[in-house]
Amino acid sequence: MPDDLKNVIVFTLAGVRSAAELRWVREVISLGFVTSVPTAPPGIAGAFNLRGHLVPVLDIAALARAGHGASPRQGDSALLVEIDGVSAALRVDKVEEVATLPAADAGAVLDGRGRPVPLIDPAALVRQAIADANAVRGDDDDAPAQPTPRDPTTGARVRLAFDGDTTLG
Amino acid sequence: MAERDLLADFDPDELAMLRQLFRDEAHEALEQVTARAQGAGAGSLEAVLEMMRTTHTLKGAAGTVGLDAVVELTHALEGALAAVRNGQRPWTPAFADAVVEIVDGLRAHIDAHADPAVAAALANRVRELLAPWAELPRGRRPPRDDDTGPTRALDGDGTVVDEVDATATGGVTNPDLSGSHDARTLLRVEPERVDELMSAAGELLFDRNRIERRVQLLRTLTRDLGRVRQELRDQLAGAGSPALGAIEGQIATLSTQLAQTSAALLDETEAMRRTLGDLQRGLTRVRMQTARALFAQLARALRAASRATGAKVELRTRGEDTEFDKTVAEKVTDPLIQILRNAVAHGIEPPAERVLRGKAATGVIQIAARAEGNLVVVEIADDGRGVDVKKLRERLVERGRWTAARAALASDDEVVAALFDPGVSSRDEADELAGRGVGLDLVRETIARLGGEIRMSSTPGKGTTFTLRLPVSTAVTHAMLFKVHGQVYALPNAQVIDVITVDAASATWPVGGERVPVVELSRLLATPGATGDGPARRPAVVVAYADKRLVCSVDKVIGPREIVVKQLGPLLAPLPLYAGATISGSGKVQLILDPAALVRTAYPGHTLTDPAIAEPVRASLSGRALVVDDSRAIREALMSMLAREGWIVDTAEDGVRAWGLAQELHYDLIVTDLEMPRLGGLELIGKLRADRRTAQTPIVIVSSRVSPEHRRRARELGVRGLIAKPVTRRKLLEVLYADGR
Repeated sequence: MPDDLKNVIVFTLAGVRSAAELRWVREVISLGFVTSVPTAPPGIAGAFNLRGHLVPVLDIAALARAGHGASPRQGDSALLVEIDGVSAALRVDKVEEVATLPAADAGAVLDGRGRPVPLIDPAALVRQAIADANAVRGDDDDAPAQPTPRDPTTGARVRLAFDGDTTLG
Repeated sequence: MAERDLLADFDPDELAMLRQLFRDEAHEALEQVTARAQGAGAGSLEAVLEMMRTTHTLKGAAGTVGLDAVVELTHALEGALAAVRNGQRPWTPAFADAVVEIVDGLRAHIDAHADPAVAAALANRVRELLAPWAELPRGRRPPRDDDTGPTRALDGDGTVVDEVDATATGGVTNPDLSGSHDARTLLRVEPERVDELMSAAGELLFDRNRIERRVQLLRTLTRDLGRVRQELRDQLAGAGSPALGAIEGQIATLSTQLAQTSAALLDETEAMRRTLGDLQRGLTRVRMQTARALFAQLARALRAASRATGAKVELRTRGEDTEFDKTVAEKVTDPLIQILRNAVAHGIEPPAERVLRGKAATGVIQIAARAEGNLVVVEIADDGRGVDVKKLRERLVERGRWTAARAALASDDEVVAALFDPGVSSRDEADELAGRGVGLDLVRETIARLGGEIRMSSTPGKGTTFTLRLPVSTAVTHAMLFKVHGQVYALPNAQVIDVITVDAASATWPVGGERVPVVELSRLLATPGATGDGPARRPAVVVAYADKRLVCSVDKVIGPREIVVKQLGPLLAPLPLYAGATISGSGKVQLILDPAALVRTAYPGHTLTDPAIAEPVRASLSGRALVVDDSRAIREALMSMLAREGWIVDTAEDGVRAWGLAQELHYDLIVTDLEMPRLGGLELIGKLRADRRTAQTPIVIVSSRVSPEHRRRARELGVRGLIAKPVTRRKLLEVLYADGR
């Protein structure tokens, strides 16, 4: 494929059409029951169970610092993305199509009628979400912030079992 | 041995511990006997001898911990096996059946230890089972009852066949079920010890994460230093001061070295990451067991179910060597048995119907296990009548569960999946619906709690297949569940000491004569759109962690539950409030609060410290002894008796291990059993005597076979004494200190 063509998935979010490169998207899913996570930064809108795995649901608008998206609910569509082994679901309003479209300038592709569709960068969004979450904790173990900046995962009571499971001792 | 004699030998606690050890050991031994009785070459002399030896070892151990009924029953079973060995009775399928049933009964009797009346009744049941095959002590022999004899069924042409063919086919498809794996060569470890190691390795992981973060910080600082140096050089460019220039040069050198060191440090944390990964994987493997024992249990359940319904079913198993976590295996056993029972009760047609449909008269249930990445896949397939999807579709609409439109649109698989829904699978409806699905909602819930999933597919007339995807390993813990703003949260039960009711307005609340802070979880866990004030009196959980106590007011307490803990992942783990998450039976994510974070919220500025661990004090010694016996209960009993006399005691489970130890260490006393796997007691003593270093070591034999021939051999080998099992402290001391002390 020439450099100026991209495999993308086109979706709408808050009435705006956007696209994401397919290489980040593992599948399009329908969200299960979404549990909200109090104290999480606005970009992390909740978490749900996908085939036995806990997957966070991200708010694209909040991560792009463009306000707030709708609260994710069961049955909403989402793009399951995986970046550096981290899985997350990006809530969207509607998935329109999977297409190979020519790239336009400034992070966009051109749709069939030649209109520019902005590209979102799932990798950057996930990294932003991780950074936001770490900002809640505070970067340094000893910083005297509230509530409690110490690593939540230190101490004898949390015991790590392997292959992704943690036991509380 | 009477209870009071035992209590002269052991503390009550110690006796309880020894009996627990015995029960563990008995389970393993009985499992081996079952496997032998059902496996390939079950009637061979070798198999019978092994069953006899296992039974015999069990008898000795039971005697030592004072379980007289077990001694009596194992003795009778040994006698029944001896009759086969001596050629007085042939090995028949009926006898194999009886052995399996007797072993099941023995296991039930041993497990019922908490209730003496039940245990006694179960012992009587085993006596009934034994009666046709073995001599029982006078007065124990129950009246012969036609129902208690070995059960047989007649084939069409009048041949006597086994009711369930599981034995025979299990042997054909699975020659390995015979237990070629000698469990006694394995190391037995308390699961708690492995958990402690896992815990330590887990903490190491957190330490590593902290180190990595520090190293990253170091690199940032190094870059900052480089920038400052650059600025300094820019400033100096105009000044032309040689002294300052030299200092700038030194800073440059130091800055480079610092950069190199932090890069190297980062590489080393990477090496640490790899080693830790190996460690973790290794520890996970320690908890693994093969599907073998699980399959044996399923074969037993199938046998019982077939007997109850009169169905003829053959069990085929595949993938016995598939490994999974012991906890997963334990949790999944009941659901699998449930599925098997359903298959026998509702899936497999009666023989006549099967023949009419052009199938073999005997139904087939296949169980296969295989590893698939981080999952274990277990498939149970029957060749029965399958689910009548059409009828089920109609029923769902008739009962108002589905709308007609939904039923019309749903695929067959979706309709079948409705059987997992509560209510659809109630017993009343099951037969009408499709002859399926008793308790399937519970089966699915159990699997979901484990973090697995179950699917069902069915072809009318051809059969039904259940596919379970289970995590290879899992971490189950106890937690207290409660609701806040309509969401369910959990706290580790180990840190929850009470559930109380508090005034919502109070900042502190009396707990055990002390006022402790109240944390309002409805505030801490505020969600967008959550309404503000609740009722004036609220339920609350009292949390104790690291010497601190606090009260957490909640909206509603759900109660304690067993949960599977999931890791939060890089996106949620940084949030201080949560220690993990779990998935509810209905598939919802529930967050687990970190008690440490709650304590820090309630006690700002307080530094948590772990209580110091006291060093154990070593007892004074009077010599080093080696105890050799293949029964762990007997080893522990002897160890306890000797330790009380001031001995330091090592143990070995067979002659080979003992010989190895005796080569390495000097022993002042060796106490050995005679009949052991690999290297027996007399052979061991022979080797010890032939070695200059151990030629004079005092040796005591502890055995249940004390014939004049044994005594003669023992004397020849210069053995100090010979004790008949069961061992008591008095017998041991008499032999040890016969010449006065």
